[in-house]
Amino acid sequence: MKEASIVGTNLTLGYAKGKVQKEILSGLNFELFEGEMCCLLGPNGVGKSTLVKAILGQLKPFEGDVLLRGKPISTYSNEMLAKELSVVLTEPFLPGNMTVGQLVAMGRIPHTSWTGKLEGSDQEIVNNALEATKTAYLRDERLSEISDGQRQKALIARALAQDGKVMVLDEPTAHLDLVNRYEIMHLLREISKSHGKSILVVTHDLEIALETADRFWLLNCGTPLISGLPEDLVISGRINQLLPGESFRFSIEKGRIESKIESLKFDISGPSEYISWVSKALEKAGIKELPEPIEVSKDPFALRYKGLIYKSVEEFVKQCVTE
Amino acid sequence: MKTTKPILLLLAALILLVLSFLVNVSLGSVSISPSEILSGIFTGDWTKASREQIILNYRFPKALVAILAGIGLSISGLQMQTFFRNPLAGPFVLGISSGAGLGVAILMLAGSAFGLATFGGAINPWAIAIAGTLGASLVLLTVSLAAWKVKDSMTLLIVGLMFGSAVSAIISVLSYFSGAEALKLFTIWSMGSLGGLVWDQVWVLGLVISIGIIPVIASVKSYNGMLLGESYAKSMGINPDRLRWLMILSTGLLAGSITAFCGPIAFIGIAVPHLARMVWKTSDHRILFPATALIGASLLLLCDAVGQLPGSAQTLPINAVTSLVGAPIVISLVLRKNFSKEF
Repeated sequence: MKEASIVGTNLTLGYAKGKVQKEILSGLNFELFEGEMCCLLGPNGVGKSTLVKAILGQLKPFEGDVLLRGKPISTYSNEMLAKELSVVLTEPFLPGNMTVGQLVAMGRIPHTSWTGKLEGSDQEIVNNALEATKTAYLRDERLSEISDGQRQKALIARALAQDGKVMVLDEPTAHLDLVNRYEIMHLLREISKSHGKSILVVTHDLEIALETADRFWLLNCGTPLISGLPEDLVISGRINQLLPGESFRFSIEKGRIESKIESLKFDISGPSEYISWVSKALEKAGIKELPEPIEVSKDPFALRYKGLIYKSVEEFVKQCVTE
Repeated sequence: MKTTKPILLLLAALILLVLSFLVNVSLGSVSISPSEILSGIFTGDWTKASREQIILNYRFPKALVAILAGIGLSISGLQMQTFFRNPLAGPFVLGISSGAGLGVAILMLAGSAFGLATFGGAINPWAIAIAGTLGASLVLLTVSLAAWKVKDSMTLLIVGLMFGSAVSAIISVLSYFSGAEALKLFTIWSMGSLGGLVWDQVWVLGLVISIGIIPVIASVKSYNGMLLGESYAKSMGINPDRLRWLMILSTGLLAGSITAFCGPIAFIGIAVPHLARMVWKTSDHRILFPATALIGASLLLLCDAVGQLPGSAQTLPINAVTSLVGAPIVISLVLRKNFSKEF
């Protein structure tokens, strides 16, 4: 049985302004387990940052308590907390002339003496963190001279070197290209398994999160936090809680969000993997129905309609639009 | 190799400091060669009694004050730049120099402005130092009260700047209503001066600067943590609120005492930390603090030497020289393309 590193029970969170308490979230219950990567998803402004602040011990709940390894987080001092919990934040300004090695070494700050001198064991932990994030080759590069993806990995290495049980990452894949998004999230998953860390990732990348996360926490306005396996949430359809309103829904077959298809009247035959793409292209072109059936064939791709053959979907769509 | 290079550079800076010291004390209305000074110090044999007088009671205290002021100003500047994460922050952003100026202005100007006879015209240097200290402490105390209320460092920076402007405005009003003599005295004070301090005052200044450096040494690690911003610092167990108080205490002692004794000295505090970052190419405060201290002391000694050179009998006001040297440095830094990345 996995142990829970972080437990929240019946939390009410919000901000006090003078005597007025403004509640943002209430009735929150959650558990974050060891060796598990959990993604926190929810629309902007729903209170994800507020929840993260409470987990980081920076916001005192109005009601309930966040337990970190069994003890209320409010009983931890700053220094003790730093040894249990590390973060990757969306901090845009990092000192440009600091090297990756120096950045990662900063993770040892809570563990070193007042001078911040690294002992042999600290050095070893730094090296391991660089290895685990595959950034050892960047050790002497300056932060101003590496790519955004590399910088994000270096920041993860720093958090890893801090050597706590829990890592919290705030949108680590924002502003990154597609490959880096996958790499970062897979890297985090690996770390959670190999180092037995509890990793909480705030993200908006639903598709990548589905690929990598062990658990989802869904936050939505007016509903309690939903926690569960991503797969369970997909199967039960509760993943659609992320998509309020009528215009979008999560496609259980394709594993991605689609705009709700208004009854499209196409009769397409051919390889099943092609059919959806052809109808998607027609849909985008504003074509809602076609009187005659379409035949699609594979190797090479060809599309037959009204006796004519098209080599690409584009040709076909153009033809349809002009008609 | 990587760890020895900064240390070697620090040694080089130390040698530069010694050389600057010798150059500084050998120049003046009477030129005395460094070899003569060295033999005078170590053997006690001076070629002329007057030279012993000049060196021991005039040039040494002045050079020591330059070293103390250089160290104090540049270290306060580095603290402010890191804490506020602002490359243009300096020792005086919290209104310290304006505060000291206000104290001195009240001493020198208010008398004539309100038609009172104060101190009979001749102003005792201790009185100036005390007035400066009181003024600086008053403004710092007010800013601290604000700091207690404000949680975020940018707001504190703005509050400090606003206080500085408000206090400068009071000085302007005082100047406007004061007599020509008093105004000239105040203007000369505001140009800064390293000389004119007796040994007793040098010891007091030295003591205050030493005390002011203690909080810096104690929080080297916290300053390194602050490089990543307040949120990261907090997550690494650093207490930014505690650091803020230590910084206010330290810069208050350092910049406050220097301004009280020497008048405002511009640019050293802003420019030297940048110079140190450029030369040492690091943001590690374990290196940067000694580096800025050494560079700051050397630079102020050299600026003072430059101020002596032209007429030899006359000296330029130190604040003018530091600004003349400092302004091109800051401008060339800003014009460097990768300036913001280096910071």
